[in-house]
Amino acid sequence: MRIPFVSVGLLVLVGGGAGVAGAQGWATDARRIGLGGLGLDQGSLRRYNAAYRAVPGRAGQRGRPKLTIPIPLGLIQFFHDHPISHITKDPAFNTDSAGFNPVELLNTFLNPPLFLEVKQAPTPTNDVVLGIGKDSLRVDLGQTAKLVPEDQFGIGGSSRPLDPGVSIKGVRVGVMGWVHDEVGLQLGDKLLGFLRDSVPADTNTRYNVLGDAVLEAGFAPTVAYAGRIAGDNTTGLYIGGALHYYVGLAYARVSGDGGFTTGDSIFGGATPVKPDARALTQYSKFGNSFGHGVGADLGLAVVTGPIELGVGVNDIGATITWPDTRVDSALYRDSSFSKPVANHIETKTKLPVSYLVNLAYTVGKTTLGADVLNTGRGTTVHVGGEQRVGVIVLRGGVARDQRKRMEFGWGGGLRFGGLGLDVGFWTHTNSLSNQRGITMATSLSIY
Amino acid sequence: MKAKWLGAALGCAVVAAGCGQGRAIFNVDVYSFVKGTGSDTVSYVVPPGVSGSAGAPAQQITLPGVGSSIVDSVRAFGTLDLRNATGSGTIGLDVYLAADAPGTNNPSAKAITVPIKTVSGTNTTPDTIRADLTTAFNSLFAGTQLWIRFVANGSADPGVTPLQGTAVLTSLQLTVIISDKFF
Repeated sequence: MRIPFVSVGLLVLVGGGAGVAGAQGWATDARRIGLGGLGLDQGSLRRYNAAYRAVPGRAGQRGRPKLTIPIPLGLIQFFHDHPISHITKDPAFNTDSAGFNPVELLNTFLNPPLFLEVKQAPTPTNDVVLGIGKDSLRVDLGQTAKLVPEDQFGIGGSSRPLDPGVSIKGVRVGVMGWVHDEVGLQLGDKLLGFLRDSVPADTNTRYNVLGDAVLEAGFAPTVAYAGRIAGDNTTGLYIGGALHYYVGLAYARVSGDGGFTTGDSIFGGATPVKPDARALTQYSKFGNSFGHGVGADLGLAVVTGPIELGVGVNDIGATITWPDTRVDSALYRDSSFSKPVANHIETKTKLPVSYLVNLAYTVGKTTLGADVLNTGRGTTVHVGGEQRVGVIVLRGGVARDQRKRMEFGWGGGLRFGGLGLDVGFWTHTNSLSNQRGITMATSLSIY
Repeated sequence: MKAKWLGAALGCAVVAAGCGQGRAIFNVDVYSFVKGTGSDTVSYVVPPGVSGSAGAPAQQITLPGVGSSIVDSVRAFGTLDLRNATGSGTIGLDVYLAADAPGTNNPSAKAITVPIKTVSGTNTTPDTIRADLTTAFNSLFAGTQLWIRFVANGSADPGVTPLQGTAVLTSLQLTVIISDKFF
């Protein structure tokens, strides 16, 4: 069982690291990281605001990179620390090893080591006290209990990994790749009280976790328009819109409820706890019938001298209809059962609506900006700026992340002709820790 | 089945909250398992001028089970009453721990020796159990069950009245310190 587990982990780290990061709203561009996550350049604004295809470059802006390549120093460090030739025997992944720590493993998944962690978020180290008696069990996690999530927690979002197309006079025709993934877990009230509030375990009581996961992907032929409807190059009103015909290639959804029920006695009886789980899976495999749906993006941008203001909304009404879906149910209670519920039925999924409100102000060689971004899993706020000094660019920014914590970014870059090298640092608390870690991102841009 | 508590409660606790390099401390209320079973009481009758011992039946204690985790140390603290009925002399209590009931009869299973107390007449003498177990017993606490047995050792003063009474456990808690590798 361990080899597939490790293989999946490696796949996430190597192939999916950037994708997972992107899906969770993380930037893979060191410039953006140096701005505290603020998407200041118009290239990144286009992702969420269809009008930005028509907005001209800002005064003093030195062109948009044709390609930005993240330099994965974190992966180099990771595979130095965990040689791939011994990965299955690595204490970090080997459950038989005394060095195995599930918290560290989960942290690695939540923070794929694409970039270098210059300061690791410390793992909570307080003692956990368990009181055990014939009819009692109580867990006191101490300070660590604060990390037990009260609300649903998870990762996910929608991304557009590819978006090639051809533009003629503001009209653009292209094909967009799209991926939507969501994983969410929610502790049941009884389990939450047991773990977070140190409530003693009760007899004949069920303790459970609810889980839900969705993964769907496809492509979308798209017709878009972006143009200026009023003003000129220095002061203008721009609008943009895109109509997508979503074609779903594959989709899977799992909804589950797992837990255990205590018996008449916590420890004294013959069957003190009975684990159980039930899950409903819906899926349409790759190669099966395509899913279909229609959705739209809308964007508006106002440029008035040095000030830019934009509002963009993506995936409006993007409901995918899957005409040939199979539904299975699985149940575990003493032993496992699985049975088909329905086949060849129609189901629907909905892409999360994402929106971006952005503001930028350029004066001389200084650009300041702010944005509010929601990709379907909470709102983030970014404020930052950059100062160009010759071939050097200095950047800084702050953000309020999805957990409503303040994060900080800073960095800089060098530009030599068609080549730019950027470095960015940012703090993050998306680990299982209440303290911040610091990531250093590096990327190479070709202009 | 009892080991499922590990996967259920501890698994959720550790994975959801994480304890990093911290320790897990199990406070096992042993008394809750032996109370009222007869194993919490040792009756003794020692003829005058001689020594003797008597034991209670072994009792099973259920633990969550900690797999291949490392048990660092085990400390015991408890109280008992020496309820002497007749005669005078000394009484001590030994606590035996083993992985199964027959194992508690082995001399090597003696985990705790409570220092002897002098008793006489019809009196109740409170006593305290306080001990750090040797590392030889650590592995017992990684499993899902262990067995405990109490043995009273008496020495009656010379005379005509036998030393007779009961040693009754009134509380016993084992504190087990465990490294955090639950899986």
